[in-house]
Amino acid sequence: MAKIATEGILAKLKKVKDIVKFNGGVWNSIVTLYRTDELKQGELVGEDKYGNKYYRNDEHIMGRNKWVVYSDKVGMNYDGSQVPAEWHRWLSDMTDTPPTVKPPLQHRWMIDHIENKTGTQQRYVPYSTTRAKIQSWQPPAPSK
Amino acid sequence: MYPDEVTSKWELPPFNPNAPDPGEQMIRNMTINFGPQHPAAHGVLRLLLTLDGETVVRADPHIGLLHRGTEKLIEYKTYTQALPYFDRLDYVSMMCNEQCFSLAIEKLLNIEVPERAKFIRVLFAELTRIQNHIMGVGTHALDVGAMTPFFWMFEEREKTMEFYERVSGARMHAAYVRPGGVAMDLPMGLMDDMYDWSRKFVARIDEMDDLLTNNRIWIQRTKDIGIVSSEDALNYGFSGVMLRGSGIKWDLRKAQPYDAYDQVEFEVPIGENGDTYDRYLCRMEEMRQSLHIIQQCLNKMPAGEIKTDDHKVVPPTRAEMKTSMEALIHHFKLFTEGYSVPPGSTYTAIEAPKGEFGVYLVSDGSSKPYRCKIKAPGFAHLAGLDMVSRNHMLADVVALIGVYL
Amino acid sequence: MIVFPLKNKKQHRILMLALLRWRIHCEQPNKMALPAKLVASIKLFNGLPCGSLASRCTAVSPIMHQRTKSTYKLVSPDKPDMSWDGVTDRASDYMFMKELLQGMAITFGHIFKEPATINYPFEKGPLSPRFRGEHALRRYPSGEERCIACKLCEAICPAQAITIEAETRADGSRRTTRYDIDMTKCIYCGFCQEACPVDAIVEGPNFEYATETHEELLYNKEKLLNNGDMWEGEIAANIQAEHLYR
Repeated sequence: MAKIATEGILAKLKKVKDIVKFNGGVWNSIVTLYRTDELKQGELVGEDKYGNKYYRNDEHIMGRNKWVVYSDKVGMNYDGSQVPAEWHRWLSDMTDTPPTVKPPLQHRWMIDHIENKTGTQQRYVPYSTTRAKIQSWQPPAPSK
Repeated sequence: MYPDEVTSKWELPPFNPNAPDPGEQMIRNMTINFGPQHPAAHGVLRLLLTLDGETVVRADPHIGLLHRGTEKLIEYKTYTQALPYFDRLDYVSMMCNEQCFSLAIEKLLNIEVPERAKFIRVLFAELTRIQNHIMGVGTHALDVGAMTPFFWMFEEREKTMEFYERVSGARMHAAYVRPGGVAMDLPMGLMDDMYDWSRKFVARIDEMDDLLTNNRIWIQRTKDIGIVSSEDALNYGFSGVMLRGSGIKWDLRKAQPYDAYDQVEFEVPIGENGDTYDRYLCRMEEMRQSLHIIQQCLNKMPAGEIKTDDHKVVPPTRAEMKTSMEALIHHFKLFTEGYSVPPGSTYTAIEAPKGEFGVYLVSDGSSKPYRCKIKAPGFAHLAGLDMVSRNHMLADVVALIGVYL
Repeated sequence: MIVFPLKNKKQHRILMLALLRWRIHCEQPNKMALPAKLVASIKLFNGLPCGSLASRCTAVSPIMHQRTKSTYKLVSPDKPDMSWDGVTDRASDYMFMKELLQGMAITFGHIFKEPATINYPFEKGPLSPRFRGEHALRRYPSGEERCIACKLCEAICPAQAITIEAETRADGSRRTTRYDIDMTKCIYCGFCQEACPVDAIVEGPNFEYATETHEELLYNKEKLLNNGDMWEGEIAANIQAEHLYR
């Protein structure tokens, strides 16, 4: 009987209950499931200043053991490029030390993270960074 | 349902009693396009098939859908700049192509590669072979109708690409094998992970083996399809599995060992029937042998340099470049003008996963190749497609292309 | 390699026979280990007397200096066993669809394995510090841009994707006025970052910069510097992680 409770179907049901509880109740679980197609439970590693939350659970295979839940502000408009550089390094498994433990390099000239703005009005439009080498001919004003 | 005394006397009326007698008719074979949009042609081949019903009378391969003028472009690039083009020739066996080009340049330059670099090259060449055979066998099975092994094996292919990425920084177009050695040393922990993977990968080959090798549908689709006699295989210039599947004992890794192939033990699979099924078996066995070589390379990996120390050919390390004036001059010289290769010509061939991949390199003493002729294995194989697929069914052409590419 | 001048077919045959003897002599120690089938499989060119010998000798052509221990291995399926037991076994396997059910059992077993699919963009695949992604122009810690317009990257770029123009700045230092990379021409070979003597141009870790239009990928100097300012934390950490190998 004890075995059923620890590793049998009861344990599975308890896990489901835990995951639902972790995600904040039944309704919130449904919302999360709709948004991320998956319900997972893990340790909250940190949160960046844009409101993205980072989780970790090493029960899953590598690649699935670290994940991000995008900020509620973006709603369904989440995008991979919303992860800022310091957390990108952690999320891409280049390091296991999150920026909460080892704060990243700071310089005063460094700028905030900008997500991929393609398809919006703020998208990057190329322009020349040099002065024009040829001037167009300005026709002389006709003398009256 | 069954004719009785009455109904057995009934007769079918003629189809159109008023139609005139058709007389003698001219009929033609049907000619259809197979590819380049056909999924089994993998986007790189167009076949003009002349069909008699469903039987192939003639197959006319139209190649050149991947033609990018590589050979001509290379004549206008330095030897260093030409290297990334080789990744893109056969983009499922990237490092083997690079290895061939590097070996050709090394032969002309007459330089020796450090032992560690040789082993790294063999290690990654065999990883590439596995990657290629996963793609080859997987899509072959997919084209024939077995979808499952393709998905399972692509999970493993993803892992091999991660190894590529860890060592070179790119998942496919590595530009890792360079003349004089390799670009960078293996990162720490990579060899352990490769060993772990190689231990587990055998089980995945067995899984695919269980699904395909004895499967009656697979056997019906591949056995005795596209038989190439050993004589034809030689006469048509086949190489690699196409040659070995026909029973010819020929493998450049054995016949003229390059890099560290003379220091590793492996067996070369040979088939004797020369049909598609035997070639599939050869590929499966080659994967196992490649794993064997990978494990030997990991065990025997010597310590030491990964590039020659001749800074007239190989750029110095960054630390050196930033501290020594001479190294900085070498650095600038190599990244602008490149290195000049003594005049001469060489044909260097390696056993790429698909067969003999050769580079005929002519140098006029400048820093750019005078001529670079690339011998791709698939070219000869596809040229023989007409001979092989003749009198087969249309569906067999798909199975044949799968094993050719 | 020794070259024998061959005058006629007879001489050729004698040479080939000698080569064959030599080969048998070489293989003598492990000949016993060869399966009988393998020896039997050397049945090439049955119709051609000369070719037959020639092809046998290819395995040890005179250019081969070093003989390796390992050999060739026959993988073709065995001839079916035609004994009563063999035939009935095959018939029952066929009738009860043994191999099909085996395959299905394996497939069924996979249902219980954790899927290997990654739920992008919430989970991401692993990358290494060497990853060659979107380009960035870096700055010195003081905020001064690193690039000195030496144009090595422009020279080495195999795809000629980089365009640089340089001028002397008001303070007398040489800097670029134009640093354009056509990201649609770029082949991400990493030669530019290898060439750069001051670590100014790097291929950063970002790969999520796909755009809707072509023109958004024609990066100019501002865009590249912005990338550098945005990703510097990660780029610097990656370069540090790689310092042993560079």
